[in-house]
Amino acid sequence: MSVLVIAPLLVAVTAAVLTLALGRRPRVQRATSVAGVVGYVGVVSAAVWALVLGPAAPGAAVYQVGGWPAPFGITLVLDGLSAFMLTIAAGVGVASILFSVRYVTPVNQRVYYHPLFHMLLVGVTGSFLTGDLFNLFVWFEVMLIVSYVFVAFYGTDHATAASFRYLVMNVFGSALMLVAVGGLYATTGTLNMADMARRLATPEAYGIDPAPVVGLSALLLAVFALKAGLVPFQLWVPAAYAAAPTPITAMFAGVTKKVGMYAIVRLYFTVFAAATVPVDLPGITAASPLGFLAPTLGAMGAASVLVGGFGAVGQDRLGGLFAYSSIGQVGFIAVPVAVAAAADPAGTLRGVAVAAALVFALHHALAKGLLFLSAAAVEDATNTDRLRDLGGIAGRSPVLSGAVFVGLLSLIGLPPLTGFFGKFLAFDAAVRGLASGPGALSALALVALLLGAVLTILYATRVWVGGFWGRETTAVETATVESGQVAVVAALAATVVLVGVGFDPIYRFAETAATAALDGEGYVDVVGLNGGDGA
Amino acid sequence: MRTTARVTVPIVLVVSISLFLQGHNLPGGGFIGGVLTTAAFVLIYVAYDLDYLESGVLGREVEPGTSIFEHRTVTAYRRTLLAGLVVVLGSGVAGILIGDPFLTQGYVHLEGVPIYHEVELASALAFDLGVYLVVVGSLLTIVSVVSSE
Repeated sequence: MSVLVIAPLLVAVTAAVLTLALGRRPRVQRATSVAGVVGYVGVVSAAVWALVLGPAAPGAAVYQVGGWPAPFGITLVLDGLSAFMLTIAAGVGVASILFSVRYVTPVNQRVYYHPLFHMLLVGVTGSFLTGDLFNLFVWFEVMLIVSYVFVAFYGTDHATAASFRYLVMNVFGSALMLVAVGGLYATTGTLNMADMARRLATPEAYGIDPAPVVGLSALLLAVFALKAGLVPFQLWVPAAYAAAPTPITAMFAGVTKKVGMYAIVRLYFTVFAAATVPVDLPGITAASPLGFLAPTLGAMGAASVLVGGFGAVGQDRLGGLFAYSSIGQVGFIAVPVAVAAAADPAGTLRGVAVAAALVFALHHALAKGLLFLSAAAVEDATNTDRLRDLGGIAGRSPVLSGAVFVGLLSLIGLPPLTGFFGKFLAFDAAVRGLASGPGALSALALVALLLGAVLTILYATRVWVGGFWGRETTAVETATVESGQVAVVAALAATVVLVGVGFDPIYRFAETAATAALDGEGYVDVVGLNGGDGA
Repeated sequence: MRTTARVTVPIVLVVSISLFLQGHNLPGGGFIGGVLTTAAFVLIYVAYDLDYLESGVLGREVEPGTSIFEHRTVTAYRRTLLAGLVVVLGSGVAGILIGDPFLTQGYVHLEGVPIYHEVELASALAFDLGVYLVVVGSLLTIVSVVSSE
């Protein structure tokens, strides 16, 4: 049992308390906040290296909080999948906080900005680490409560309305999730995810009837899709993204959305995949909850790609455009996950498809983080993010424009950028899925992806031509771009390039994560329920 | 109203403290104890007014005209919340420092204490104290800020 598993959580909580205590000394508070995130990156890297990736690493580790053994206590598990997601969170987090310090006005930073930022990290980290279903609900709430405050942060009419809409949708989501968690507890007699996987694999041995699991998992799917902003639950996304401080929007798009996708992958592939339950719905006949997931998530993903793509093309503001683009990109993550769910459990396609989804998640976190922060830098300099009022930024600030250019090309999927591999692997998974199980839905999903790719080119071109090329407008002529902000954005752009150029180790990391996600028995072993000592 | 408050507030406070103290092995605990303590304060606020705690109980002058966030009692509530957070975090981390997992709890029986004879001292009480302070601090901040608007 290694303290490194819980260390990221402790660092983030400590930073939250410290920044709260230092509210009267703004400079010290800012420094502490940045140091907190840097420390977070440090412990995440240490934990990932020592426990998952390093040569002497066990591959996964467990932490039983309070010394209570699983399945009775709260279990934290750091395996490949959690490690991959934590790495994304740490990367986006550090860019976001460095940018915040230079972007959010000092007065606003003093209004609980930093403690809230760290609590957001706490919620995200907890969601990625927890091995307990009810605990997952709690971390979701931690994340959401902070998100409500951030959406309402500026206190304008728009922000308050957006926050309220977001709150109402998520209160319904949380209630549904609680019903589903309670139902799963009633069905399987446990809340520990590893224990649940074990019981679902051999229901006779525990005297349980797994039939309700499919329906309950559908409730959970709806809740997670709401968090991820998949169609038809995408309604909150544009308003909430526009209202929140933009560095936080980068966190929302890059990290908290991924929590929803992570939860889908974790629960369906690690936990529910073990169950053998006949599913007999109109149009869906399958032998496990994954058979239900495949067409549902596939359809939601394809619809998200289209809604996001078409929505983005019609947007006039940079923020709104990237928000819709975000909806589409999450669809690009969902479709490979659906392909994986439909794939033969014994074949290699399932692992390849999950890895594709993870790579795309990484690409989206980096590229969208970069683009949201660039939009913030542009708005900060010109006081507008309307494409109509922008133009010629390329001449005004070549570095910022270069970074945006890299981000847009990565979004389109040009080699050697990260986005190329994301999109390539997503298409690869979709084509292989179609080849292994031809059907109308797989074909439609592929068509949706193709159309989505074309739409991406369309709106990326619009951003570039409308905002960065051409003659300088009056708003741009007088603008001065803040150098600190540009430095952060440029560093992110460099990361996008570097991850693409040195893609091999990243892909191996994603493969490790995918293997961990699919290895339900391994997960049970790590938690220590198969006769292990759990330490 | 004031007569009722004068009689009930001490009773409510005593009950809240007893709930807080027995929390680790009987119904009760930091959260419910904190809520009850807050209820007692709210009763005072309703019966008297927002400045009564400072002018009537502590006998201090109330600085007029400052915003509610600068109000001395509200600052004190916010400090209470912060102190609670520190206690919660400290009680959890203390376990790690002596080599146990985060949040591990233990207890000792103290014998020969006057009057009580035997007292069970649980480390969970420290965590509960933190929760109690967080609840009291946050709820009273919310109540006083919202009610001043």
